[in-house]
Amino acid sequence: MNYLNYAGEAFLLIPLSAIFLNNICNKRFIEKHFHILTGAVALLQMIAAVFAFYIMDANQMLNFDFSVFGSSKITGIELFDINPVSLVFLFCIGMVAFVSVMISIRTIDVKKGSYVNLLMTLLIGMNGMVMVSDLFSLYVFLDVIGISSFVMIAMFRSRKGLEGSIKYLIISEIASIFILMGLSFISMKTGSLSFKDIGRNLLTNTFELQTILIYAAIILMIAGFSIKAGIVPFHSWLPDAHQSADTSISVLLSGIVIKIAGIYGIYVLTNIFGGIKAYQVSLAGLGIISVVVGALLAACQSHFKRIVAYSSVSQMGYILLGLSTGSTLGIVGAVAHVFSHAAFKSTLFTNAAAIHEQTGTLEIDEMGGLQSRMPVTAFSSTIAFLSTAGIPPFAGFWSKLLIVMALWGSGNQILAGFALCASILTSAYFLRLQKKVFFGKTPEHLSSVTEVTGSIKFAEILLTAVTCIVGVLFPLIIIFLHSRGLI
Amino acid sequence: MATIIYISLAFLLIFCVMAVMSHSLLKSAIYLALASATLGVILYVLGAYWAAVIEVSVCSGLITVIFISAISLSKIKKEEVQKLYSDKKRMWFLPVMLIVVGVALIVLALANDLSLTNTAEKVTEDFREIFWNTRQADIIGQIVTILIGGIAVFVLFRDDEDKK
Repeated sequence: MNYLNYAGEAFLLIPLSAIFLNNICNKRFIEKHFHILTGAVALLQMIAAVFAFYIMDANQMLNFDFSVFGSSKITGIELFDINPVSLVFLFCIGMVAFVSVMISIRTIDVKKGSYVNLLMTLLIGMNGMVMVSDLFSLYVFLDVIGISSFVMIAMFRSRKGLEGSIKYLIISEIASIFILMGLSFISMKTGSLSFKDIGRNLLTNTFELQTILIYAAIILMIAGFSIKAGIVPFHSWLPDAHQSADTSISVLLSGIVIKIAGIYGIYVLTNIFGGIKAYQVSLAGLGIISVVVGALLAACQSHFKRIVAYSSVSQMGYILLGLSTGSTLGIVGAVAHVFSHAAFKSTLFTNAAAIHEQTGTLEIDEMGGLQSRMPVTAFSSTIAFLSTAGIPPFAGFWSKLLIVMALWGSGNQILAGFALCASILTSAYFLRLQKKVFFGKTPEHLSSVTEVTGSIKFAEILLTAVTCIVGVLFPLIIIFLHSRGLI
Repeated sequence: MATIIYISLAFLLIFCVMAVMSHSLLKSAIYLALASATLGVILYVLGAYWAAVIEVSVCSGLITVIFISAISLSKIKKEEVQKLYSDKKRMWFLPVMLIVVGVALIVLALANDLSLTNTAEKVTEDFREIFWNTRQADIIGQIVTILIGGIAVFVLFRDDEDKK
């Protein structure tokens, strides 16, 4: 299993090596070629995820635990662990990081070296979080993600950026405190923070462990991870942080950070506490509120990035609904929605970068008729919107279908109905966005606008292709995974 | 043992509140050091001797020295800081809320008859062994956190070249 060990180590060592390279190379050289270094790291991450998946499938393995830097492995102690779900998350991290790099080529003019350093630490944080097998280690990497994100939002020191970053830091640290308190309570009752030990203890001592402390821990941890994921009513920080950051950073925050820091944490909790009815009800309640309120708030916004940010709040609700069922179908639907959301949300932020680059504004009331002037952006935005709204055959349709089916199958027909109706709301706010930005009469000051070129255009085409291809091939992918016993 | 811990926890709460509520940076740093020292006592009583030593020496000692050095190097005068805060109301509901939460937690602990186990006695492995072979992921995470701290100082506090 040496190859799997190398692949696992690569997720931590490659970004670390990139930080080292970035800081020893000539500054001017890095400023000129920073995108090659960061793009290569993101690509390698995707390749390593696919490679590890291939090896695991070939060896009929459902998980592989390993240690790094050649330290001796102690039997019974798992330091890092990779499994098909963590590999999907790792692939998504690589994909969104690659898109961020593509956008940054056009949007970041200063502090390119710092962007590289921070992107790499963020990658280490996210990769570490999805590979650890212990709740305390998960908390440590969660803080790495939080601090990296804070510095990334604030790095250009604009007034809005600093305000958004301080808001993010304070709320994120409150979430961390909640999670830490939850961990302490679990540790007090179970004597261990390893995922497997807690799950085993819960199975063997169900009545003893379901005490007030375990419930308090669950409430604190759900609240903490919900803050990180921007779930309603803990969402107030998200639109401000996403709007105030550079678009190359917004795409990271909305495309992947909220999923890893928030949703992955809730996924881990679901694996441990998924059998507890109160846990399922809490997730379902938060999920449906988030779906509806996020969509309603998105419909009231006039800033492109705020609409997309509130849309993320709504879509995180769908993922929570999938996880709330506790069934395999629901979890598969939630993980599939993580991937499809990463693809279509990255597309929408790339569109935002393209529009801002060409028009200098993101206020949708100041735009109109850009469809004929920016056809590629308009087309990719339409595909992303259709996928977000769950229109077939795009990736978003299949993941939402699985979530609705899981809800129906678990006896939550009303929630399934609400989730379907909320898709109409999604269509409403995106139709408004499309109409205001791409259709109608072009204002005088935008008459000379042309299509964006270079890396942003490339990212738009690439992501649109991913959304379409995954959408068309989705049933085949599910059949393949099922036949291999991976789901 | 439980009495020492509960008294220490009360002191910890007081020092933390004072660190947040104080208008003087220097006093805040000192209260933070006292909070760390109290935490060190709790860790020692619980039997986590290594953690207690590190808490007292690094968090209470070294970090306080760095804080005080940074404060004495900063150009803001004490009067200016006081002027900055003179028209701002202190939010006294914060310590009140914390005390209520603290009392509630102690009541919860007593009601549930939480036994304080001496976990350190069960550990027989070498310190290095525990640090690297069983908590390796945490160590890597902590190293990266320190790295981000360095990057953050560089990114957020260094004057821009174009401004120069």
